[in-house]
Amino acid sequence: MKTITRLEVNKVLGAVAKEREREILLQVYGLGKSFGGQIVLKDVSVSLRLGEVVLLLGSNGSGKTTFLNMLTGNLKPDVGEIHLSSGKKQQVFRFPSPWQQELNSWNHFTPERLAQEGIGRTWQEVRLFPSLSLLDNITAASPQQKGENPISALFQHSLIRKQEMRLQNEARLKLEDLGLQGRESSLANKISLGQSKRVAIARAIQAGAKILFLDEPLASLDRAGILEVVQWLKTLVREQQLTLVIVEHVLNIPHILDLVTKVWMLEQGELRVELPAMAQKYLAELQHNDIRNWLAKVSGGKISDRILAGGAVLSTVGEASVPLLEVEDLVVYRGKRLVVGEQHEDGTVTGISFTLYRGQVALLQAPNGWGKTSLLEALAGAIAPAQGKIRLSGRLVEKLPSWKRVKLGLSLLQSRDNIYPNLTVREALQLSHVRNIPEDVKPLLHKRMSDLSGGEKQRVILRCFQSRLSNVQLIDEPLSALDAVGVDSVLEILKPNTEKSCLIAVPSIIHTKES
Amino acid sequence: MNYFFHLIIYFDIYAIVAMSLNLVVGYCGLLTLAHAGYFAVGSYVYALIALKLHAGFLPASAMAVAIASLLSFAVSLPAWRFKGDFFVMVSLAVQALIFGLCQNWVSSDAEPGTLRNLTNGTFGLSEIPKPDLFGWQLNDPSSIAIFATAIALICGVVSGVLLFSPWGRLLQVMRDDDLAARGVGKNTRLVKLQAFAIACGMVAIGGAIYAAYVGFIDPTLAALDQSILMLCMVLLGGVGNFRGPLVGTFVLLAIPELLKFATIPDGIAANIRLLLYGLLLVVMVHFRPQGLAGKYQVD
Repeated sequence: MKTITRLEVNKVLGAVAKEREREILLQVYGLGKSFGGQIVLKDVSVSLRLGEVVLLLGSNGSGKTTFLNMLTGNLKPDVGEIHLSSGKKQQVFRFPSPWQQELNSWNHFTPERLAQEGIGRTWQEVRLFPSLSLLDNITAASPQQKGENPISALFQHSLIRKQEMRLQNEARLKLEDLGLQGRESSLANKISLGQSKRVAIARAIQAGAKILFLDEPLASLDRAGILEVVQWLKTLVREQQLTLVIVEHVLNIPHILDLVTKVWMLEQGELRVELPAMAQKYLAELQHNDIRNWLAKVSGGKISDRILAGGAVLSTVGEASVPLLEVEDLVVYRGKRLVVGEQHEDGTVTGISFTLYRGQVALLQAPNGWGKTSLLEALAGAIAPAQGKIRLSGRLVEKLPSWKRVKLGLSLLQSRDNIYPNLTVREALQLSHVRNIPEDVKPLLHKRMSDLSGGEKQRVILRCFQSRLSNVQLIDEPLSALDAVGVDSVLEILKPNTEKSCLIAVPSIIHTKES
Repeated sequence: MNYFFHLIIYFDIYAIVAMSLNLVVGYCGLLTLAHAGYFAVGSYVYALIALKLHAGFLPASAMAVAIASLLSFAVSLPAWRFKGDFFVMVSLAVQALIFGLCQNWVSSDAEPGTLRNLTNGTFGLSEIPKPDLFGWQLNDPSSIAIFATAIALICGVVSGVLLFSPWGRLLQVMRDDDLAARGVGKNTRLVKLQAFAIACGMVAIGGAIYAAYVGFIDPTLAALDQSILMLCMVLLGGVGNFRGPLVGTFVLLAIPELLKFATIPDGIAANIRLLLYGLLLVVMVHFRPQGLAGKYQVD
């Protein structure tokens, strides 16, 4: 048995004392929330200190997003108190709110009020401002801009111009830190998801966030992207004493574990505070199931890998029989930017080529910004390829509109904007002609799609998608926002079908982690 | 020549209207049908002050701006909670309310402009004084055209400075994603109040020039078809930038003038004009949803 020395004891006690000395920024007492009689959170009390990095763990549907929404002013708790010391003065929000507070619209518990008090957040879906450039996305978030007052905008022109130049320089530096130099004038809707996530974090910091709630900040990033973001978050925590609360996909948790100082574990509406070691235990207990392992399992280990132009890997399982989707020398541009294909030194561009046969499942693992989504959209007819041929069951389709391609048996499941949020699950299933309602979605039938957790939503979407009468299925990032149980249930739905072929696009991190 | 000046005055008035509407439709992303109501408020306030208090153009139109801006809360406060189709319905209710007030604030046994007969109902208000500037009466179309152009230019400069300022960017941020804007600490409720107050104040200036130039106003100024015409101008020309609404104004004002050269009987000319507006709008929505010169596509 190992003996603990006095020195070690002192070290631990010192660390604990140091931890206690840190200023408390946020305290929550007896917070509770329920939806339609179903209790989501009960009697949650927790505190957050300056510079802490908290990992919020819990299975799909455990209330992580609800808790995050409540702490960022996006959702009002039913009961409890929130004490906030991240701003200039301590603010106390009590729930249910007294009626006087309800009357004063400027004193509400709102996202803007909390953001002004130093609470920032990023969302699972990135929510950048699509019509603004990246530079403007960050500059616009700066607090206390004189030019945001229309009277000052009219009469203090030179003063505002000076402030604007200063803020733009700050924003430019932030973009450089993120490796996005040269992309300042790119529109926010013209960059990849991974890049958008980084800009969203920079935007929240520019807004003055002292406590930053990050909802899956690493989802959809490739290895290089993850390293950059994690490194940057470390710098922010170390140099700016930023406090972070992170909700992360189970596959990405190992990347942030050495950053985490505390774990909040949400189970059945109750929150427990644990040490980071608990997260390691949690991960170890989970079955290590990523999509490539799954592919190896369903194929009996026979995976054929092909390197495509630009460094993507196309892993295919299944026999080559009847070709369903043939792609030949496909090149796709977004505006003037080449996104699918490879440009050579002599200026010529080579496209990508591959064939999918009946019964095959192909996994496209590509780095962030490679153009996975653009490729799938070009195949589905949402964007026009610059060159190349696409054959669907032998018929050339690259000139056909999307709806005709759908009629010919091709369907695309996008990673974003793929639900009707106001429909109930029952209505969504009816709309997709799902006749035999699967057992796993039966308990959700009465819920609105927008009220589902990430994992539940993905399950319903895939059930709807699988019911389509298509023989070529294109699926963009089906595993994002899922916990281990969610990944399991989604992979169960994605099992190979002998009549169909399926192309699944995922970030290359899963593959690179394997290697 | 007078006809040319008449066209210039009308272009100036509707350019002011379109620029103001662009603020809320193009930059806030809120489709409003109440704008003709605020145009009428500007006209009526100007007319009543000029007729009853014999005030000059500047103080009367300043009062018109103040009252229209104050009344803009009727649409901007609901905009805190409503958006999309629901907000359109709220703005329609406000337009109906203003139209109803203009039409029904009448009493046959009281003088027009008194508290009991404020608007004189469908008979409208007539003999509204022509604009004057520091005692200089502008009677002929040429001087009114210069005056109207100067005011339109001022409105254009104000609008341009605001839209290219951080405030204009804030409007776009709010239009793109209201929740994300609030998430970075932007008080979008206040911004909506400001945008509507400025837009309604600006359109009231257009209304005041109209009343001063034409000399007669009636409740049809606040009618729904006027609001639709104004919306057509910005949707056809395009919103979300500076030049789109001006292009739309030019095109929609040019159509009836060009039709005058076609030998169409007077009885059906107005209907043909409306038909053309509708057709143009349908064609635009199908082939160029962002308008002729616009940047932002209204959902």
